[in-house]
Amino acid sequence: MTPPPTVEGTPDVPAQVFEKFLRALAGVGVSAELVVRLRKTLLEEQTFTERALTAAILGEEPLP
Amino acid sequence: MIRVDSITIKEFRGIRDLTLDLKGKNFAICGPNGTGKSGVVDALEFALTGNVSRLSGEGRGDVSLRQHGPHVDSRNDPDKARVTVKVTIPSLRKTVTIERSLKIPAAAYVTPSDPAVLEVLGQVKAHPEIVLSRRELIRYVLATPGKRAEEIQTLLHLDQVEKVRGGLQKIANTCERQLVPLRTAATQTRDNLLRVLEMTALTTKNVLAAANAHRAILGLPALGELTQTTSLKDGMVTPGPVQPQRIPKAQALADIRAAREALVEITSVPTTARVAEVTADLTALANDPAVSAGVVRETFYATGLELIEAGTCPLCDTSWDLDGLKRYVQAKIDHLKEVSLRRRTVETKIAPLITALRTVRAAIEILLRHAAHARPPVVMHVASAYSATRGAATERLSALLPLAETITVLANVPIVPQGVLDAIGELERAVAALPEPTKQDAAREWLTIAQERLEVWRDAMRKQTAANEQAQRARQVSDIYAATSDTVLTGIYADVQTDFASLYGFVNRDDEDKFKAQLVPSMGKLGLDVDFYGRGFFPPGAYHSEGHQDGMGLCLYLALMRHLQGAGFTLAVLDDVLMSVDSGHRREVCALLKREFPNTQFIMTTHDPIWLRHMRTEGLLAGRSSADFRTWSVDLGPTRWDDRDVWTEINDHLEENDVRAAAGLLRHYLEYASTELCHRLRAPVEFRGDARYQLGELMPAAIARMQKLHKRAKDAASSWNQGETVDQVAARTSAFTLLAEASKAEQWQVNIAVHYNNWDNLTKEDFAPVAKAFRDLLGGFACSDCNEYLRVSPDRETPETLRCECGKTNINVRRKSA
Repeated sequence: MTPPPTVEGTPDVPAQVFEKFLRALAGVGVSAELVVRLRKTLLEEQTFTERALTAAILGEEPLP
Repeated sequence: MIRVDSITIKEFRGIRDLTLDLKGKNFAICGPNGTGKSGVVDALEFALTGNVSRLSGEGRGDVSLRQHGPHVDSRNDPDKARVTVKVTIPSLRKTVTIERSLKIPAAAYVTPSDPAVLEVLGQVKAHPEIVLSRRELIRYVLATPGKRAEEIQTLLHLDQVEKVRGGLQKIANTCERQLVPLRTAATQTRDNLLRVLEMTALTTKNVLAAANAHRAILGLPALGELTQTTSLKDGMVTPGPVQPQRIPKAQALADIRAAREALVEITSVPTTARVAEVTADLTALANDPAVSAGVVRETFYATGLELIEAGTCPLCDTSWDLDGLKRYVQAKIDHLKEVSLRRRTVETKIAPLITALRTVRAAIEILLRHAAHARPPVVMHVASAYSATRGAATERLSALLPLAETITVLANVPIVPQGVLDAIGELERAVAALPEPTKQDAAREWLTIAQERLEVWRDAMRKQTAANEQAQRARQVSDIYAATSDTVLTGIYADVQTDFASLYGFVNRDDEDKFKAQLVPSMGKLGLDVDFYGRGFFPPGAYHSEGHQDGMGLCLYLALMRHLQGAGFTLAVLDDVLMSVDSGHRREVCALLKREFPNTQFIMTTHDPIWLRHMRTEGLLAGRSSADFRTWSVDLGPTRWDDRDVWTEINDHLEENDVRAAAGLLRHYLEYASTELCHRLRAPVEFRGDARYQLGELMPAAIARMQKLHKRAKDAASSWNQGETVDQVAARTSAFTLLAEASKAEQWQVNIAVHYNNWDNLTKEDFAPVAKAFRDLLGGFACSDCNEYLRVSPDRETPETLRCECGKTNINVRRKSA
């Protein structure tokens, strides 16, 4: 029997996904402010409403 | 996270007062159906989470934790229903007591309650999946891909991941939808500008050339460049305020021609044909009641499908064939999805009509502004109302629902009231009657209108550019999130898939050691296909037996939990799982749990005593790490096969002079104990295919086996020249022989007078010595230190030792080799 591939566990999969997502965003040159706003929303405040996400993505800009 | 040291349950579910000492080790509760095993599981879940999933959630109807959690006799006093668990938190090296009562299920009294302890207990509470019943287990295997994805997402707490994914997609879609009218506006304002410029292509060179030609007429300097802030009429003297604004004749006539073209377009044969086609589609959709509340109903049906458990409609309680009802509801969901597809097709067809309406409205609005400057005034009320209705029609067609209103509005799209055409005609005549402006006035009007429309176009383009940038950003964020989460989840699923296949392959290594599995995530679903003896990959329910599916469910659960909690996977409660797995594979499950999860405390329930023995012989359970529930009554709750309880109960019966009850209980207990002894001592008993052995077959066999083992032990000690041991074994043999003789069990076959069938007829005075004799006899099978029955080791092949679990008794029964 082969040893199990992972033994450390992934206790917080959402946090793992969010962290990788934010790193990927920064990697493709998305503005630092946007990444900061999304980090605050997803990881610090853990608010996942559409309104919060819209504010994080569009910042202060109203939709035209 | 935690290990359970003990649990005390009072007045909870079917339990009156019960304490189990688990000592943080694997523990099993065995007993027939209805003896209270699951009550212990419920109590444990309640203590750790404040909830009992069997009494809450989907499909529970009128049953509730608060009302039906207490013992039925304490249902009006929920404070009496209490569960206290002592747990160890290995990471903190702390022992913690948690107590809850059903009076306030959410309030746990935790001692000590420091923040670190509370954080760990919070994590435990957030993972109620530590309790796994067969019902939950099978959901991982036999569910539809969408449902399985939900179950596993819940287990892995992926709901947040999916919520964010959905939110980002929605934001991206909203941004893109808002681009459509802005693009139309940009096109319209550009056309309006081009009309003034009298050109077909909007280039800087063309605009500057036209503007400078008109500026030259007014003696204004030529513009050298055209930037975002350049004004075409820069330097031009603005008319004084007393001078009324004039209608720019040439531009007004051009605008009138454009409006007529727009009206011709909207009344054209292709437009009429498109209206007819869309109307037919909408009428067909409108006749389908599924459309109007499609999304709501789809959600409703999907929820209903989840709630169907028995063959009863969850809404109206009408009896149905279970599979038939599920098929019926699923057909409705499929139909709604088909309707949704048809709706999207219609929306695509209707889009050009919405653009045409916007174009007409914009053209009419320009004419209204010209008309406002006409002297004498030109009455344009009908045109104004027409413009307003085109605006409303645009909104209606964009919204689509309700369909009946959309169909009504659609019918009016190609219709232009004669009053509109008349008003335009009157305006055209008024404009045509205007005196031709001087070259200077014409140039001034051209520059004014061109500048005005240039600004409007620039504004529309700015809005479109900003919206475009937002839409691109939102889409980029959404796409990156989808790709990242897919990568993370695919990685997790790949790890789980490998681990799952490895675990299952171990349990079934006799014939499926090369077993493979595929967890395939796709569009929010999670397919599970498993290898069937190298013939290909199929759904688990396709060819594998129910027992194999149970095994798969457990292995997938274990793989998921290991990846979810890693080293924190210290507790799992398996409530009567593996019912369908045969005894050989259960033995392998024991080996798997022991080998692969040495740091996990498994608390298991089973109604099968053989399964319990497998757990013991495989070393999954140590010593007294089990509880045998023998009966249950509403007054007493579960009663256990516990020495102290049994002898006390027998004495109680005798005190009441109820020999019949005492004799019945002794016989029942001896059946249980002699089965256990024959198993532990590997006593030869005539095989019965139905496994219905009688006390008369078992107890004498156990006694004979013990005596034979004593003889082997004595011979072995002699072969090793261990004189002291020889004497000890001889003393043990003598003592045991006396106990056996006192019980008269060996005479059951030949002396009917002492047979247990006659116990009922004995007097209290005659039966008391019988009970004592058997109590003493059973003591002769046990270690004097730990009280545990001795067992032969190993459990197969040549016996080597007769030993107990604590190690105090360890008698060699193997002779020295010659």
